[in-house]
Parts: sequence; C-alpha cells; structure tokens
Amino acid sequence: MSYEMIALLMFSSMMLMLLTGQRVFGAIGGIAAIAALALWGTGGGDIPFSAAMKLMKWYPLLTLPMFIFMGYVLSETKIADDLYKMFHVWMGPINGGLAIGTILLMVLISAMNGLSVAGMAIGATIALPELLKRKYDKRMVTGVIQAGSSLGILVPPSVVLVLYAMIARAPVGQLWLAGIMPGLMMAGMFVVYIAVRCRIQPELGPALSEDERQASKEEKYHLLLAGILPIVIFAAMMVPFVMGKTSLVEASAIGAMTALLASIIRRRMTLDILILCLKNTLGISCMFMWIILAALGFGAVFDGLGAVKAIENLFTDQLGLSPWMILILMQLSFLVMGTFLDDTAMLVIVAPLYVPLVGTLDLGMPRNEVLIWYGVLYTITTQIAYMTPPFGYNLFLMRAMAPKDITMRDIYGSITPFVLVMALALVLVMAFPQIALWLPEAIYSR
Amino acid sequence: MLKAARFYVRMVDGFNRRLGKIIMWGVFVMAGILLWSSISKTFFNPSLWTLEIAQFAMVAYYVLGGPYSIQLGSNVRMDLFYAEWSVKKKAWFDSFTVLLLLFYLGVLLYGALNSTAYSLGYFGKEPFVFYWDLITAFVTGGPEAASEKLGYIERSPTAWRPYLWPIKIVMIFGFFLMLLQCVAELLKDIARIKGETI
Repeated sequence: MSYEMIALLMFSSMMLMLLTGQRVFGAIGGIAAIAALALWGTGGGDIPFSAAMKLMKWYPLLTLPMFIFMGYVLSETKIADDLYKMFHVWMGPINGGLAIGTILLMVLISAMNGLSVAGMAIGATIALPELLKRKYDKRMVTGVIQAGSSLGILVPPSVVLVLYAMIARAPVGQLWLAGIMPGLMMAGMFVVYIAVRCRIQPELGPALSEDERQASKEEKYHLLLAGILPIVIFAAMMVPFVMGKTSLVEASAIGAMTALLASIIRRRMTLDILILCLKNTLGISCMFMWIILAALGFGAVFDGLGAVKAIENLFTDQLGLSPWMILILMQLSFLVMGTFLDDTAMLVIVAPLYVPLVGTLDLGMPRNEVLIWYGVLYTITTQIAYMTPPFGYNLFLMRAMAPKDITMRDIYGSITPFVLVMALALVLVMAFPQIALWLPEAIYSR
Repeated sequence: MLKAARFYVRMVDGFNRRLGKIIMWGVFVMAGILLWSSISKTFFNPSLWTLEIAQFAMVAYYVLGGPYSIQLGSNVRMDLFYAEWSVKKKAWFDSFTVLLLLFYLGVLLYGALNSTAYSLGYFGKEPFVFYWDLITAFVTGGPEAASEKLGYIERSPTAWRPYLWPIKIVMIFGFFLMLLQCVAELLKDIARIKGETI
C-alpha cells in the first residue's frame, strides 16, 4: 500500500470513529496507536508516549489552565454585570444602542479571557434577556451575541491562537498582537452594521425611553468605573509582557490571579464558586490537554508518512494551482468542514495538515510573517464556519443558552448579516496583510 | 459478578474523585510558580528551576486530573449523531468504541514504562525484565542492591538538569488510573445495557 493510501485510511477511520461519539481523544489516539504499531512494530509503540514528552516541553501550553480559570472566575462571579449596566446607561439613547453596547461589552470580555464560550455565556445570560425586554428584535439580538462572542478568540488572550502557535511553531506573542487590529476592525464593522440597520429600521432596536435610562450624573460616572476593571486586568497582564519584563506564560498567571483578586475585592467570590471554577477548569483543561496529547501522536505518525508532502504535491504539481488559489481553496474547505466538525477537532486534525503547507507557499512575504498572518485568517475563518448552518458549534451553543421562544430557525436567520460582515473582514485581512502584521512589527522591531 | 463490578466501580470512582479534587487546586501551584518566576526575574536573579517545575506541575495536573475529568464528562465527543441516541444505544456504542480508548491508554502506559526504564539507565529492549530485576533486588538486598541495578540516570538537558524519572513515574501512575477509570466506564455501560445501575 502506498503511503498516501495509508494516510487516507488513517484519516477516514479516525473520522468514522469520531462519528460513533467516542471521546475525541480516544478516537484520535487509538487510531494513531494502531497505525504506529502496524507501520513500525513495537518501536512505533513509543510514539504516543513521546507525544507526552513533547507536550510537556511545550511551555506556552501552561497558559491554557490559567486562561480557562480566568474565564470561569469572570463569568461565575458575574463581575460583568456592572459592565453591562455601564453600556446600558451610556449607549441607551441611540437606536440599536444596546446592541452596540453588547458588542463593546464583548470586546472587553474578550480582552479578559481566551475562549469564545465565556463571551457567549455572559452575553446570553446578561445581555439577551435585557435586550428582549427592551423590544429588540430577537433575530438581531441572537446575531449580535454570536457575532460578538467570536471576537473572544481573536482579541488576546486567545487560547485558539496559543494552540495554533503550537502547530505552526510560531511565536505566541506576535500572534496575539496580530489578532488585536483585525479583532477591533471586526468589532467596528459590527457596530457600523448595527447602527446603519437600526437607523433604517428603528423597530429592530428601539432607543431607550427617557425614564429607562434615568441615572444621576454621579451614578453615571460610578458606572464608568466598572469599565476600569477589564482595563486593569488586561493591563496587568499585557504591559509587563509587552515591556519584556515577563514571558507570556507568566503574564497569564498574573492575569488569572488579578481576576481572582478583583472578584474577592468586589466581594463576589465565595468558596463554593471558587470550587466550582476549579472543578470546571480541571475538566476543560484536561479535555484540551488529552486531545492535544492524542493529536500530537497522530501528527507524528502522519509526519512519518510524509502526508503533508503528499498533499502539497497534489495541490502544486498535479493540479497546478497558484499559491493564492491554494490559500483561498483552503479557506473554503475550512468553511465546509467547520459546518460538521467542532472547533477542537478542526484545530487538531485539519490545521496540522494545512499550516505547514501555508508555510511553503510563496506569497511574497517572509515565512514567519505568513504563518502569523495565516493564524489570524484561520481564526476568522473557523469562527465563520462555526456560525454557518446546519452544524455550527456556536449555533448549538446559542440554542442551549437562549430562552425557549427563540427557535433554531431564528438563530439560523439571525447570523446571515453578521456572517457576511465577517466574510468581508476576512477578505480585507487577506487583501491587506498589514492590518494584522503592523502591530507585532511595530512592537517587536523596537 | 455484579457485586464485584459494583465494588470495583465504587473504589475506582471514589479514589479518582478524591484525587481529582486535590489536583484541581493545582491551578494555584502553577500560578504560584509562574508568579515567583516573574518576581524573581524582576527583583533578583532569575530562578533556573521555575520553567521545568511549572512544566512538571502541568503534566501532573492533566495526567492525574484526567480520570476525574472523565467522571465529570468533560471530554468532548462529536455528538452529531450521538446526541440523538437513546441511553441504551449510547451504552452499546460506547462499550465497543471504548476498547479503542483502552488500547490507546495501554500503548501510552507501555511507552511510559519503556521510557522510565530508559531514564533509570536501562537501554535494553525488555523493560519489564528490568523492573522485575529492580524490584527483586530491592526486596532481597534493600536499596543498595537496587541502586546497583541502575545505570546512567537521565537528566533534562537544561541548566538546572533535573532528573526525569519522577515525572515519568507520575505519568505511569496517571495513565494507569486513566485505564482503571475507563474500565469502570465500560462496566457502567454494560450495566446500563442490562438495565442495571451501578
């Protein structure tokens, strides 16, 4: 059997095992172990374990439990309530103002944690009921929350970019900085869309009445203080890192402990909540780590087969595609796969095939810049994919969190305009790589 | 038979749950090491040991916490079809596909045992023979006789040069517990198929 056939067989049997609903790490790891033993005998039996040693030496992975813990502290202690109230009072008078406020809230939450799920949870529990009560159109509301939560993994700290960095062997710090501008740009585009749409159709997002946003000047400024919290946490984390005093990993620990400290000072933390946070952190961290462990083993077998070379060969020599065509084709295939694979599966299975290939493409940029730029493209693309029916990861999450009278049809309908906005953002970043690249360049070239 | 299965599940679940509830505080251990690292870097001489100790802590965290995460049901599944199935159908599928998981854990455990033997200075191909020799030497001749069996002890190739066997033994222990936990899950599934509860 040729190596290409073996690679194909491995891939398809893994997909089949995934569809049986067994735990993802078991399906990936099991196939990897069988393939390794079949190909290289007992010597291959060491491959799954050497992945464990590789994982141990991959220092940035320590940020994972830190950021997950941080996210749980922020969402479980409901420290974001005040933030929401702030936007409520300050953005209320404009048509669609609360929806715009929700997007801005999401930007701030994204700057404090690294997963999109936390943003979605906060949006669905705090913003959603308030917006519906204020007669906002339910399609508008669910769309806003889903679109907003997708910023979570683009604005640093971002767990997805940490994992991407591991696959691409690119520096995490630069990737994070590269995510900032596109993230803010996308947020800006959402805001413009909402403002214009609600201007034309005020019934989608009516402005608040006078007495609804009655608040004394004092109260208004007091609420503005709530906005300081995320800035403090973000600054405590990023300033020492950007100044070169701490490494990224140390910064993540500072961020997690600052968030914990803030919740204690605000008297929101109890022992029960702390234990709940710790338990969830352990569960989610272990889930990620075991999947990465299994995927590293799978990747090692795949590398041994030269599968990446085979795919590259197929694209460039046999199909004769130009680098840009390949890049666009990849993005499209991500969109298709994202409709039925979930985010972890995409990241650990598909990304290791594509990312090395991107590194070899000649796009008129140095290789390290291509990989950083592609990290941003990858993140936006997968976010679009999770929002595209019929099987978007975010869609189901939204369904689980939204009240009963919002149907799946509403959710499907709500995301269309936002997906279009995100696609536009994707095209912009593709056409103008500088949007992503100038910030890391400006900071690292000093 | 059912009684034995129940006893096994109760023991394994209980032990792994208690272990997991201790391990979950490891977030603070990791954060503490990292904070110390940044403090010492800023104010004193940077510590050599923080990076590797933090890595060891992370490995212990996810390997020893793994069984508890299985109990919590945190490990994602692709539930495209799975979510729609009845409890019985899920149990049927799981009790077959879990064999793949058990196989994977077995290979991991084998790799860990192999690698630990290497760390203790055994470069041959029969790690189990080596462990047997080591244990018999320890039982008959005490620690001194056992240490004679050891060869060159592997160290990490860094400035601090820690020994690697302790963390590998932690991994062996963790993989073994993971195996026990997955067998417990299999027993629970079989019981579910039979309509019993464990």
